[in-house]
Amino acid sequence: MTTAAPENTSEPISKAVRGRKSRAREEELLVWPDLVFIEFICAVLFTVLILILAVLVDSVLLDRANPAITPNPSKAPWYFLNLQELLLHMHPALAGVIVPTVALIALGAIPYFDASNEGQGEWLSTPRAWLNLWVGAFVGFFGTLLLILYDASKHVVLFEMIANGTLSPQAPPTPSAEQYAAALQARGDAIPAGLQEIVNGSNPVLSATDTVPSEFYSQGIWNGASGYTAWPDSLEFLTTLRGIQTGIPWPEWTKSVPLGNLLRTDLFGFPRIELNIDISALIVEQIIPVTAMIGLPVLLAVVASKTGIAQSKRDHMIMQFSGFIAVYVILTIIGTYFRGVGLELEPYTIFSHG
Amino acid sequence: MASNERPQRGTLGDRLYDAAFQNRLWRSIFRSGYPNTPRNQMLAVATNVFLHLHPTRIHRTHVKITHTFCLGGLSFFLFLGLTISGVLLMFYYVPSVDRAYQDILALETDVRFGQLMRNMHRWMAHGMVLTVIMHMMRVFYTGAYKPPREFNWVIGVVLLVLTLLLSFTGYLLPWDQLALWAITVGTNMVGSAPLLGEPNRFVLVGGYQVGQAALIRFYTLHVIGLPLVAAVFMMVHFWRIRRDGGLARPL
Repeated sequence: MTTAAPENTSEPISKAVRGRKSRAREEELLVWPDLVFIEFICAVLFTVLILILAVLVDSVLLDRANPAITPNPSKAPWYFLNLQELLLHMHPALAGVIVPTVALIALGAIPYFDASNEGQGEWLSTPRAWLNLWVGAFVGFFGTLLLILYDASKHVVLFEMIANGTLSPQAPPTPSAEQYAAALQARGDAIPAGLQEIVNGSNPVLSATDTVPSEFYSQGIWNGASGYTAWPDSLEFLTTLRGIQTGIPWPEWTKSVPLGNLLRTDLFGFPRIELNIDISALIVEQIIPVTAMIGLPVLLAVVASKTGIAQSKRDHMIMQFSGFIAVYVILTIIGTYFRGVGLELEPYTIFSHG
Repeated sequence: MASNERPQRGTLGDRLYDAAFQNRLWRSIFRSGYPNTPRNQMLAVATNVFLHLHPTRIHRTHVKITHTFCLGGLSFFLFLGLTISGVLLMFYYVPSVDRAYQDILALETDVRFGQLMRNMHRWMAHGMVLTVIMHMMRVFYTGAYKPPREFNWVIGVVLLVLTLLLSFTGYLLPWDQLALWAITVGTNMVGSAPLLGEPNRFVLVGGYQVGQAALIRFYTLHVIGLPLVAAVFMMVHFWRIRRDGGLARPL
């Protein structure tokens, strides 16, 4: 027992005199047996569990390694599939190295940002902890999912589903020359001479019932003629992230902007890096992903502050950490189960790898 | 009254107990008696090299399963299990592109319990990645990274990376299509880093593509290099838990 305050005095006693708060012995248990036995039982339980698992499920062994045959899809181990998923949406240097490095450093720095003792030693004990956990996890999970769906043009499919009132929207098949000529006529457009020849039968190779040659054909006109509402061509740049590069007529000079040798890497024995920058690629592969990865969490934090969802540092920490874990989980799930041949987004694939 | 002062003869149980736990052999191994009294129970923990990672007393909330779910302990347990099963696997495995795949096939078909041992190693490896991540989540959500435990959190992050690297290096060893191409994809990611990516990939793979040089590098890292580094960091990790006052408690 440490020095207790005399009970018959009302004078406050300074901290130094009072000494350390007594360690509540009655609150303590002996490690032997109360902890050691739990550990022992836990170890036995898990040995049995792993043994059962190992008896029931064999680990995968495919054919002997063959550098000449690349399996499609080729996938990294599951805990790196989140990075491989990022690889599909941004510059490989970002996805493969910079993002994980920054993420790990940020993870390690958490205690140096949040040094208060608030909520220490108990599960989510601060007032808004659970709320912040769920908000962070929800936004991280579904936000990432939406971005992935966008990059797979699923919003285009959704648009065409709604616009055409069908669950499986499909652009009408390419018409024959005469069908297409008729469509042009109906629109009041002039029929090109070459197409007219085919329809008249004066073309030596193609007949009127053959598929219309691509030089006369416009998908947009045919869609309109057959009553199909497709994603507008003018919004081509909004079909995927890459669409910003391919769907906009970037001026020729933006394709290769010579910045010279900003980095004299040859001084260190590495090849000299000549920086010729394709501005549209830079925007699509680096600027937008970086802006999104920094901007969206910041936006979430600002909104959470303004609305009072997150008020303390610990609140923000819980929200961002939960968001990070949720992003890790959704990227891993998508990378593992929803990437098929050519790493295309598929409804559901089980790629057997262990 | 006088008759009561004479010491009574011990029962058979007492004599057996004395014979078992009060003899020179027992005392030479365990300095304390059998841990059936508080004193001996504390001595059992304090005087045992393995158990003395623990304090002798612990707050009652810390033995509640739901406080930690044993996740840190489980990670360590899986590490030990992986070491044991890994040593057994090493008896049958030669890290050569000509033999590795055959050795795994032989392990699965010719070696008694070989398939079981490989399965256990694989499942424990996946399990350890999971328990380490979940342990990190537990520490975060219980606020256990807060001062004075900041640095131990950093060590924990290093251990997470080491766990992933241990698993990743082990992935190549069966030398099947899954192994080769997973490692090819993985190391290509390293190669995409700016400036130092390609040289780093070259060092890691030991050439321009995953082959014999990569296999022996990954093998060496997997069976000795990374486990040693991980063991050192674990040592610091566990020691710091004690130094920083055990598990975090509300202030």
